Amino acid sequence: MNRLPATGWRGKLLHVDLGEGTARIEEIPREFLLRYLGGRGLGVRLLRETYALDPFHPSMPLIFAVGPLCGTAAPTAARLAAVSRSPLTGTVYDCSAGGRFAHRLKAAGFDALRIVGRSPRPVALAVTPEGAETLPAGDLWGKTVGETVRALEGRGSVAAIGPAGENRVLFACIMMGEGNAIGRGGLGAVMGGKNLKAVVVNGDRAVAVADPSRFDRARQDVMRLFRASPVIFGELGIAEFGTPALVDLMRQRRMAPTENFRRTVFEGSGNYSGPAIRKAYGSKKDGCFGCPIQCKKSTPDGMHLPEYETVSHFGALNGIDDLHAIVRSNALCNELGMDTISAAATLAAWGEGRGRFPVAEEVDRLVADIGYRRGEGDLLAQGSRRVAEAMGNPDLSMSVKSLELPAYDPRGAYGMALAYCTSNRGGCHLRAYPISHEILRKPVATDRFSFSGKARIIKIAEDANAAVDSLVACKFSFFGATLEEYAELLSATTGEEYGPQSLKEIGERIYLTERFYNCANGFDAGDDRLPARFFREPGSGGEGIEIPPIDEKRFEEELGKYYRIRGLTPQGTFSDPGFLEKLP
Amino acid sequence: MRDQIAKYSGRLLSDRSAVPGRISFAAQDDVLLTDGDPELARLAGEVLFSLSCLGMVAALPSLPFADFLVRRAPAGETRIVPRDTETRTFLHDIPFLRREELGGDAAARIARLLGNRKGVIAEGLGIFANGPVTVEHAYINYSSVFHAVFVKYLLDVLAEGFLLPGEKEAFEGFRRDWLRPVSAEGLPFRSGPLEDPGEILAEIAAVGRYTVERGLVDSFFGNISCRAGGVVYISQTAASLDELPGRIDPVPMDNSSTTGITASSELLAHRRIYEASGARTILHGHPKFAVAMSMLCEEKDCPVKDCWKDCDRVRLLGDAPVVAGEIGAGGLAKRVPPVIASPRKAVVYGHGVFTVGRTDFAEAFRAMVALENWCREEYFRRLAEKFSG
Repeated sequence: MNRLPATGWRGKLLHVDLGEGTARIEEIPREFLLRYLGGRGLGVRLLRETYALDPFHPSMPLIFAVGPLCGTAAPTAARLAAVSRSPLTGTVYDCSAGGRFAHRLKAAGFDALRIVGRSPRPVALAVTPEGAETLPAGDLWGKTVGETVRALEGRGSVAAIGPAGENRVLFACIMMGEGNAIGRGGLGAVMGGKNLKAVVVNGDRAVAVADPSRFDRARQDVMRLFRASPVIFGELGIAEFGTPALVDLMRQRRMAPTENFRRTVFEGSGNYSGPAIRKAYGSKKDGCFGCPIQCKKSTPDGMHLPEYETVSHFGALNGIDDLHAIVRSNALCNELGMDTISAAATLAAWGEGRGRFPVAEEVDRLVADIGYRRGEGDLLAQGSRRVAEAMGNPDLSMSVKSLELPAYDPRGAYGMALAYCTSNRGGCHLRAYPISHEILRKPVATDRFSFSGKARIIKIAEDANAAVDSLVACKFSFFGATLEEYAELLSATTGEEYGPQSLKEIGERIYLTERFYNCANGFDAGDDRLPARFFREPGSGGEGIEIPPIDEKRFEEELGKYYRIRGLTPQGTFSDPGFLEKLP
Repeated sequence: MRDQIAKYSGRLLSDRSAVPGRISFAAQDDVLLTDGDPELARLAGEVLFSLSCLGMVAALPSLPFADFLVRRAPAGETRIVPRDTETRTFLHDIPFLRREELGGDAAARIARLLGNRKGVIAEGLGIFANGPVTVEHAYINYSSVFHAVFVKYLLDVLAEGFLLPGEKEAFEGFRRDWLRPVSAEGLPFRSGPLEDPGEILAEIAAVGRYTVERGLVDSFFGNISCRAGGVVYISQTAASLDELPGRIDPVPMDNSSTTGITASSELLAHRRIYEASGARTILHGHPKFAVAMSMLCEEKDCPVKDCWKDCDRVRLLGDAPVVAGEIGAGGLAKRVPPVIASPRKAVVYGHGVFTVGRTDFAEAFRAMVALENWCREEYFRRLAEKFSG
C-alpha cells in the first residue's frame, strides 16, 4: 500500500553533483509527493538539509521540480519551479516558469532535477531518461542566452544563463529556451556559481492519467471558467493584450509606481499600454507550451515583447515614455539573463539617489554594464538595497527583504502592502496576489483601501498559491478557475483524492516550511517591513481618488493579526524549534 | 467584519432567500466571530474553524425546495446536479447530507463536504456556504445554491410532479405567499437618448438597483450597460447591481484602452449586441422562471447532449428567442446578437435574459419584466395542464 501511484508523478529525481562529476537517480519518498505535490513544495522539502548554506556554497542545491499535472493536458500546467536560496534576498527562493523544458523533464522520467557542487570549468548538463551527461561549455561561456539556446536546442529544451548569471548579478535569471524566465531572486547567479551554463533536457515518456474521463470533465470546467473570465479571455484581457493590459488600469487606479515610487501616476504610460504595444509592433499571441491563454506577446518575427511589470518599471518608474527604448531594455535583459523588475527598480533607486533618473538613451548601456559588471554596473548588479546603502540612503530602495517591489504601489492596495511584507521570498506580488481581488475583482472584489480581513485573506491566498506553485499551474489560471477544478484535475491524474481544503493545507505546510527556513537564517518581523516612503508620503491623488500614505499603526495591527493567524510569535518567528520535525 | 455580517444578514432578509431568525454567519480573522441563530451559528463556527476560508453562512432557505430535492433523490445519491449555466460553471454540483447523517459530529461532516464545494445542503438545517475570501463571498455562494435549487426544483416538479407528502401544499404556499408580482410599476426612468456621462452613470446605478429590488437576478448578479457615442458604460464584473456607483467602466468601442479589463464578463456580448441592434441600452438578468423555462425543450431524439452550449437552434419562449451559449467568450456573445435586434430580447439557455432599449432603460426593463411574467404564467399553465386532475 506504500506504492506510489503509477500516474501523475514519476517518483524519481535525478541528482547531479557537478563537483564530483557524478549523477544518480533517486526514489522520491511517496509521502513527499503526496504531501508536497511537486514543484515549489517538493523543492522546498528537498532543501531541508541545506537551507542554511550560503546561496553560493557548492553544496547548496539548485532544484528544478515539475508537478503532477505536468505532462497532462491540464491547462497551464507545463511548468516547473526552480528552488534554491536567493543570493539577492537570503531567503529560500522559488520561481515558477512555463515552457517545454518542464514538459521534457517530466518526459525524461523525473519529477525533479537536483544539482549540487561546482564544476571546475564551465559545463552544460544534458538530461535524458538514462541520466545526465556533462558537456564542456567553455565555448558558450560569455554568450548571450539566445546564442546559448541556439547552440544546444538540437539536444532538447534548454534552460540557460546569460552573462549576468556567469557574473553573479544578484538578480540574474535562468532563461527558458522559449523566453520564459526563472526570475527575480537571482537563481541565475546560483547556477553561474556552479559553472553551469545550461541544462538541456529531452524525453518522450507520456504521463498516464488515472481517470481520463474525470480528467476531461475537469479540464472542460477549467476552460469554461477561463472563457467566463474577463481578465483571461475577455476582449480587453491578457489573452488579447498580454499583461500590459494592466497599464491603463493601474493608471486609472492611480497606483502605477512612478519615479521610484515618488508618484503613482505617469502621464506617459499610454505610450506603452496594451493597445499601444499592439499598434506599434503588430503583436501576436505567444506563450508557454501547452497553455491555452497565450498571454505573452511577440512581434511577427518572434521577438518577445515586455510584460506589464517590465514596461511599467522601465517606463514610469524611471520616468521614460519611449516604448521602443523599453522594448530594447527588455530584450537586452533577456539576452543577458537578468530580471527586468529588479534591474529597472535598481536603476530607479540609483537615479533618485544621484538626483537624475536615467534617460532612455542611456538605459541600454547601463543594463549592459550591469550584466557584465562594468563600471557603475558592478554596484548596480547587487540590487537596490545594496546600492542605496552604498549611496548612504537606504530608504531609496523600494524593496522588501531586498527584493525590489513590482509595479503595484502598495498605497493603492492595502492587501498588497501586507502581502509584500509577509511573502517568504521578499517583495513579490505573486505569493498572495491580492491584486486579483483588490483590483481585478476576482473571485470577488475587496476594498483596496481597507485592511479589514486582509490578514486572513493573505494567509489563505499564500497557502492556496503555494499549492498552485506545486501543481505546478500558472497563477493567471485563477483569474477564472479555482482550486476546486484544479483539485479535480489532480485527483483524476493521480488517483488520490484532493480538494480545495486539502490543497490549502498542503500550501500551508509549504509556506510554514519556507518561513521556518527563513527564520532559522535570521529573518523575523523586522524584515517584514515596507519602505518608509509608503507610510510618510502620499501617492498621486486626483480624479476623485485619494492615495494617502498607509496608516502605519493600522498596518502593524494587521501584521500582528497575520502572525497570530499563522501561529507565529509576535516577532514573526516559531516558538517551537522542533517545528519542522513534526512535518513529513 | 461585523459590519459585513450585518449587511449580508440583511440581504438574506431583503431578498427573501432565508427564514428570518434562522440565519447565521461566521467569520474568522485572528478570532472567530459568529452571529445569528444560536444553533446554526455554533455549527457555522465549528465548520468554518476547520476550513481555510474567511466566511461562512448557514441559513434555512425560505423555501423547502432544497430539502425536497434531497428527499426526492434516490437512496445512495449524495449530491444534486442542477443543469443551469451558473451551476455548471461555478458550483458543478451541490452535495447534501440527509437528516440521518447529521447526528453526532455534524460540523465535521459538513466541513468535509465544504472542503470540496462552495455550498452544501444539510437537510432540515439549511444551506451552508463558504466564503474563501470574504463574507460577501459566502453570501454569493449561498445565493447561488438557492437559485440553482429553485430552478432545478421547478423543472423537476414539472417533469415528475409531486412525489412527497406535503410537497404539493408547500408548492401552493410558495405560489400563493412567496411569489410576488414582478412589475416595473412606480419606477422612474430617465428618458433617452442618454448622452451626459454623469446622467448615464446615475441611470445605470438606478436601474441596476431596480433589477435587484424587483427580483430579476440571482443574488445581485447580472450586468447592464449604456452606449453613448463611442463609449460603452458597463457594470464591472462581480459588481452588485444595486451598488453600482463607482463600479461602472467606460469602455471605448474601439478598444483603445484596456481600463475595462474589469468590466463585466459579458462585455463582448454587449458590444456585439450594440453593433447588431443599434440599441442604446442593454440589461441582463437571471430571472428564475425565464431561466427554468429556457431549459425546456420538446425536441425528440436530438443528437445534441450538451444543449446549453451546443444547441444551434433558435427556440421561442413566447416571442423571445432562446439560444445556447456559455458565459463570456464561450459562445453566448456569438449567438445572442443575431437574434436580439428585432424582438429586443433574448434568452440564453439555462442562464438568463438580455433585453435592449432603443433609447433608454425603460424599454429594456419593462421587456424583462414582461418576459419573466410570461414565463411564470406559462410555467404554471404547463404544470396545471400536465398534472390537473
